[in-house]
Amino acid sequence: MADFETSTHRSKWIFTLEDLMERRASANDTALKMLDQYGTTRVEVNVDGSISYPEPLFDLNTTVEPNTNIKALTCQEEEYMRIFYEQKIQEVCKAFQFPIKIQATSLIYFKRFYLQWSVMQHHPKSIMLTCIYASCKVEENHVSAEELGKGIKQDHKPILNNEMLVLQSLGFDLIVYAPYRPINGFIHDLEESVEIRNSELEHLQNFHETAIQEANKIMLTDAPLLYPPGQLALAALRRSNEVHCVIDFERYMDGVLSRQNSQYSVSELLDFLGSIDYLVDKIKVPTIEDMKPIDRKLRMCLDPSSQDESKRREKKSRKSKRTA
Amino acid sequence: MGDGRGGGGGSQRPAWLQMYELVGKIGEGTYGLVFLARTKNRKGSIAIKKFKQSKEGDGVSPTAIREIMLLREITHENVVKLVNVHINHADMSLYLAFDYAEHDLYEIIRHHREQLNLAINPYTVKSLLWQLLNGLNYLHSNWIIHRDLKPSNILVMGEGEEHGIVKIADFGLARIYQAPLKPLYENGVVVTIWYRAPELLLGGKHYTSAVDMWAVGCIFAELITLKPLFQGVEVKATPNPFQFDQLDKIFKVLGHPTTEKWPTLANLPHWQTDQQNIQGRKYENPGLHNIVHLNQKSPAFDLLSKMLEYDPKKRITAAQALEHEYFRMEPLPGRNALVVTQPGEKIIAYPVRPVDTNTDFEGTATLQPSQPPSSGNGPGVAGQQMSQRGVPRQMQSMVGMPRVGPNASMAAYNAASQAGMANLNPANLPMQRGTGQQQLRRKDQGMGMQNQGYPQQKRR
Repeated sequence: MADFETSTHRSKWIFTLEDLMERRASANDTALKMLDQYGTTRVEVNVDGSISYPEPLFDLNTTVEPNTNIKALTCQEEEYMRIFYEQKIQEVCKAFQFPIKIQATSLIYFKRFYLQWSVMQHHPKSIMLTCIYASCKVEENHVSAEELGKGIKQDHKPILNNEMLVLQSLGFDLIVYAPYRPINGFIHDLEESVEIRNSELEHLQNFHETAIQEANKIMLTDAPLLYPPGQLALAALRRSNEVHCVIDFERYMDGVLSRQNSQYSVSELLDFLGSIDYLVDKIKVPTIEDMKPIDRKLRMCLDPSSQDESKRREKKSRKSKRTA
Repeated sequence: MGDGRGGGGGSQRPAWLQMYELVGKIGEGTYGLVFLARTKNRKGSIAIKKFKQSKEGDGVSPTAIREIMLLREITHENVVKLVNVHINHADMSLYLAFDYAEHDLYEIIRHHREQLNLAINPYTVKSLLWQLLNGLNYLHSNWIIHRDLKPSNILVMGEGEEHGIVKIADFGLARIYQAPLKPLYENGVVVTIWYRAPELLLGGKHYTSAVDMWAVGCIFAELITLKPLFQGVEVKATPNPFQFDQLDKIFKVLGHPTTEKWPTLANLPHWQTDQQNIQGRKYENPGLHNIVHLNQKSPAFDLLSKMLEYDPKKRITAAQALEHEYFRMEPLPGRNALVVTQPGEKIIAYPVRPVDTNTDFEGTATLQPSQPPSSGNGPGVAGQQMSQRGVPRQMQSMVGMPRVGPNASMAAYNAASQAGMANLNPANLPMQRGTGQQQLRRKDQGMGMQNQGYPQQKRR
């Protein structure tokens, strides 16, 4: 591990809850204003990776049909959208059998990206793919955009078009830290500690696997933007321990902290872990059904002409019914 | 909104370019071009490395991404400083702006060999080596292996505040060494073989920080003798051919390796398969001391032979090397490696880099075809392939960028990203309050500690 203590991850990408809310509200607000002004929220990414904002609506005052039909997404709906696609990232990475590190890196890129943009400005479907593509490059598991696109039956061009935008939105801070390595470290530490007897080694393996699954859940929450990876790992281990009861967790933490000369006390750390638990417990991963109305709204925002088309289609079908 | 596409292309100069005054082209490599520029608002020169877009359909150059992401995480006096990252949307290329260093070890050694016909003075050799090790120790303790150390990648600052300070450059091949997902040889990477460690030449696929130490050993010897220590003739083939001649050159000097002294040798692929009868060949007794003309009992020789230890596990580390007796005896290493130490000694005026002024930032205005990059002593940021027409620049005070802390450097980055993408404001992340600042300060302290290490603090 290049040192987390001196990393850009620690110095620039760990926030407070208020920070996160503020940033998201402001991204949402920007998209809202765009909708008012331009009738769309879409920020166009050109083939060369540069971006352009839409043309203002002609003659705002005399528009007969103001876009009152187009409703912007609420912050809550944006959150659903993000969570939905974050879980999609996990799916896609699993399907490609990428190492877990890539999955985590893509997720963190995706989260960081949407601290600066609203999902109404850049559709999360393509940003998701670009995040996966970029993290493959960074983690030296290079996959061509074409392969990636083919693998999930998507056009690969948007992946490349968005690459520069994503890299830049991440401020080129591309080395990120996930909880999986520290989990391995803690497990290794436990294997060596006297607390675990030989007969329990298999038990420990289950404990490890559950911890990874718990970490996967944690990665869907805001926790990776709020807490350092070591704490995320401890939270995952504690949740796993609730299932498997392998160790006396508090005693173990006590031991870890005394060895590490930690800046936090056990009770402080337990508070953090409690907050992470809370985030995991309250998260609701939306289903495709849940997503339908939100996605319809999003499509309107991104591409108002689709609304006209669907209207036309409606009219047509009505007409044809009449004539029938 | 599909009709808006393509509008961003065209040949307009990107806005960020206006921050710089282009002086000319100073180098060229497989990745792209290097330019010298001056900043308009601040004093100081900047080397701008332009990365070409990678293979068609492959997006942003992975080499550029790698170099940027590593340099964003590290700050050290003996590591080159990334000042800015710019994007040219017209051709999807990235421009990395670095503090400009007037010299590099390749040019310094060449000047002594070809112009002065005079050895580099012991103080300078020791100071250059110490600083190189100091930077490398920092990288290795951050789990970064450079993998392509060679004289042209070791820069030395010209006149100014940081005069004579070593900067390790060219991180395009550097890796964080927590189990790389793919070994390097699969990436079709071509690097100079003269500084390549024997375990790699024998087909080892596992890179460790010891490969950098081997290269430092080769560079140390070259600083003393002014000649590359092991000048093997490269076999050009893909992928990753067996470099017999390079090993032959090494064995002739250091003797034939044995599994007694180097147990893991038996597992190295090319040794195992006994390529070109490598196991059975006979070599004379080792004669390193004869080549470098050092007394076998001298600390300098002791250090050099520990760097050129065959077994990577036994090879001296950067941290250990910094503690070596050689650095504790006179002349002690100093911060300005190029300064005169003895009264009456002549100041050496090292040549400044040649600059091809017939170019623009695209590199398109150069008339003569550029030669293919040589793989031997190919230029890093240095420009050995400059056209003959390259007009040497007037000597001027090359004040480095004012020394700024990590705080300021990030601010500079953000400011620049704003300038570059006036319409992409979200990238301008305000610095984090509270914890962030503290951590940066911590980092700074860490740096201070790293630098404290000049033995006896001999500042000149």
